[in-house]
Amino acid sequence: MLEIIAETLRATIAVALILAGSLAILIWVRNNTRKLSALRLFIQIAAVAVIFLGLIIGPFGLERWSYLGTAPKDITIGKEILGRPYPDGLTVPTFSCYYASGRTATCVIWQLQSYLFPNYGTSSIYLTTGLERLAIAVGLLVVISVIFGRFLCGWICPFGLYMDLLTRLRKALKIRHWTLSDRVNEGLRQARYLIIAAFLILSFLLGMRAIAGVELISESELGRYLEIPFCQICPAKPLFVLVEGALGFMDVDYMLSQTIGDFALTGWYLTSINIVILGVVTVGSFMIRRLWCRICPLGGLIALFSRFGPFKKISLIKLTKVEEKCTKCGICKRVCPPQVTEVYEDKGGDVTVSSCILCFRCVEMCPYEGCLNVEFAGKPIYKSKNWLNEEE
Amino acid sequence: MASEIEKGTKYIPEMAQTEIDDLNKSIKTASLKVIEDNIERMKKAWKNRPQAMEYFDEISNLFGKRQEEIKQQKTAGKKVVGYSCIFAPIEMILAADAIPVRVGSGWYDTAKLGDRIMPVEICPVIRSTVGAKMVSLSPFLELSDAIVMPLTCDGRTKLSEILADYKPIWHMNPPRVKDDPHTLGMWKQEIMVIKEKIEKLTGNKITRKNLKEAIEKMQQATKAFRRLQDLRKGNPVINGRDAMLVNQTSLWDDVERWTQKVNELCDELEKRVEQKEHSTYPDTPRVMLTGTPMIWPDSWKVPNLIEESNPQGLVVVDEQCSGDRILYDPVGVDEWTMSDMLDAISERYLMACTCPCFTSEHGNEDRINWIIDRIKEYKVDGVIYYVVRGCILYAMEYQRIKRVLDKMNIPVYYLDTEYTREDVGQMKTRVEAFLEMLEARMDI
Ligand code: SF4
Ligand code: SF4
Ligand code: SF4
Ligand code: SF4
Ligand code: SF4
Repeated sequence: MLEIIAETLRATIAVALILAGSLAILIWVRNNTRKLSALRLFIQIAAVAVIFLGLIIGPFGLERWSYLGTAPKDITIGKEILGRPYPDGLTVPTFSCYYASGRTATCVIWQLQSYLFPNYGTSSIYLTTGLERLAIAVGLLVVISVIFGRFLCGWICPFGLYMDLLTRLRKALKIRHWTLSDRVNEGLRQARYLIIAAFLILSFLLGMRAIAGVELISESELGRYLEIPFCQICPAKPLFVLVEGALGFMDVDYMLSQTIGDFALTGWYLTSINIVILGVVTVGSFMIRRLWCRICPLGGLIALFSRFGPFKKISLIKLTKVEEKCTKCGICKRVCPPQVTEVYEDKGGDVTVSSCILCFRCVEMCPYEGCLNVEFAGKPIYKSKNWLNEEE
Repeated sequence: MASEIEKGTKYIPEMAQTEIDDLNKSIKTASLKVIEDNIERMKKAWKNRPQAMEYFDEISNLFGKRQEEIKQQKTAGKKVVGYSCIFAPIEMILAADAIPVRVGSGWYDTAKLGDRIMPVEICPVIRSTVGAKMVSLSPFLELSDAIVMPLTCDGRTKLSEILADYKPIWHMNPPRVKDDPHTLGMWKQEIMVIKEKIEKLTGNKITRKNLKEAIEKMQQATKAFRRLQDLRKGNPVINGRDAMLVNQTSLWDDVERWTQKVNELCDELEKRVEQKEHSTYPDTPRVMLTGTPMIWPDSWKVPNLIEESNPQGLVVVDEQCSGDRILYDPVGVDEWTMSDMLDAISERYLMACTCPCFTSEHGNEDRINWIIDRIKEYKVDGVIYYVVRGCILYAMEYQRIKRVLDKMNIPVYYLDTEYTREDVGQMKTRVEAFLEMLEARMDI
């Protein structure tokens, strides 16, 4: 009992600290309109550092994973939640990839897939029942989504940072971005939910291995891959492990040795499909801002728990517009990385939509004082400014 | 074989040169008097008028310093691109190192002249411009090497034909529904055509570099303009007419110099805010003007009336393409590539514009929103909806705007007039009654 209270207390303090920190940052930028994009970049980089903290403190004496060669051990936060072992650590709805080394939290998509079938993980470290783990993962996903919504996409997600860096590179080369038609964009937006449904159903079915005595897949290497289907096509995984491999944190030979020889499944850490998708997404997001985010199922999951039904009402971060102040100048539409049109089209009020990554570029660029506003729990924390005054 | 059309069928019949010269001289003399009179009245109404205003008084002389300056620059090889309305992309004219000037005409006397060939039902802004052309009165029109003519209303559409007998006219076709996705594309093509024409006329390429500079120049102007506007939000430190003049001179002045002078004016006015040195009584009813453009100098009869009547009114803000709308919106560039800048310019001139030539699924609601916002921001007590006879678009939108304002409990007065000085006496009575009512409401 005491333990539970202590754990809850610890968790509350951690959440409160995170909240307070983010609030402090947001208040700090309140008067720095045009510097918001720079600040965002800074926070994104800081977030990557926190998510892969093990890589940073690893070289200074952190225990190594012998079977990964030089990889430092993960320093996962939340190995115990409410007094129960939770070995994969804190669930976060952002691409803090399970496969990369040194991570402090775990990508929710991996956890959902792994925990979906109750029999998963029979080894001794998984003392909690599958259902309990699933409940914790989903619970954290919902809570974090309600609090931060897709702010995580705009400001935290390491893969989002990767795409933003590609955009910055393109800008530096003075190449104009391409845009997708609204119809294609809408198609991608819808496709996210199909992907979510597909990987959840697949991982559940394949997790069973057999239905009524009919074997679906055998207890083999292939089973290990297919139980976690989305991760085998995820573009973030190869990016992280290749970067870590290149930096010497992970042993590329070892990664590639985990193979069953199939072309599509070269290894547990890298599949050729992953790599091809990463290539396509890289080229694509060089020309089209935040291309992957428009179809990303993780973004879709966060949106599901922050922008629809009852969650829409209780979600804390909102983008609002004052109708009379908006001249329909169109700037917000043009500068939006994932090409959200609703901020421009909708009349006033809450204009946050599921495809918005809450990067606040539109708020930064809207040239009318107080026309676009960011609200946290009903309190305005940032608003559009007459940015002409700030370009000295 | 020359067709019938080609055989000398200009709109304006030939006039004897002596007649032209005589008329030109007499109207010009009369106009100079009006200008002088306006300035005298503005000075009288604002004791302690700041020094910085003198610059604008000087520039306001349409036949004075600025005209000479442009002439000189023309001899030095610069081109002058006139434009009839604020749809013309000024940044591109500046980028090609040409001089942009607005050529709309506000002379009452030339409107009478225009009556010779235009029926009286036609908007006097058009008749006046035609009349000015008949006697070569408008310095900026005469100096223009080409004129950008956005076809916003029927009057301007036909005006472009009339002027085409004398000058190269570059038409622009603003779409009437501005927020359909495809209309922006159409408008961007219009902008691209103008870009090519400017480049051809001036022989200067519009490059990434010079376009960026031009955009930044205009942003600075907008910044200065907003600074002045902010000063009008509080207790009066500048009279409405004076601010209106400052804003309107940006249409023919050199942008950079204008920006600098406005900033100087604002420096002075900001001090006055601190010292509570007001240009008139702080409890003067605050009036907003909307409707047909009021073009210097003759149309100053309306703000003169408002600010000289008894009780007095103060024009704190307007929703006119001859005033606060000129510089209100900045071009907002995202990536500073050529195509992004062109997109930004296209959007700025089309989408942010609240001209009554637009409509949409919800009507021209952008204009209504603009008016509502300004009423709140500038604490407006009453709106004067100014329409000249023949300006159909503004006249027709009145009813809807009145309904909105009624709901907000903001009195609005429909002031219809003509390009004539004869109705001043009768207008005075009407305006005074309106201002009295505003004052009575304030007392409660
Ligand atoms: S592969 Fe992708 S979905 Fe799977 S854990 Fe890594 S980042 Fe998450
Ligand atoms: S949409 Fe996906 S890839 Fe994009 S920022 Fe969000 S989680 Fe990351
Ligand atoms: S940038 Fe601001 S004013 Fe312009 S359309 Fe968007 S919300 Fe409206
Ligand atoms: S709508 Fe605004 S906050 Fe949302 S993604 Fe677009 S620019 Fe960012
Ligand atoms: S005042 Fe009205 S009718 Fe006249 S030119 Fe302007 S819009 Fe057209």
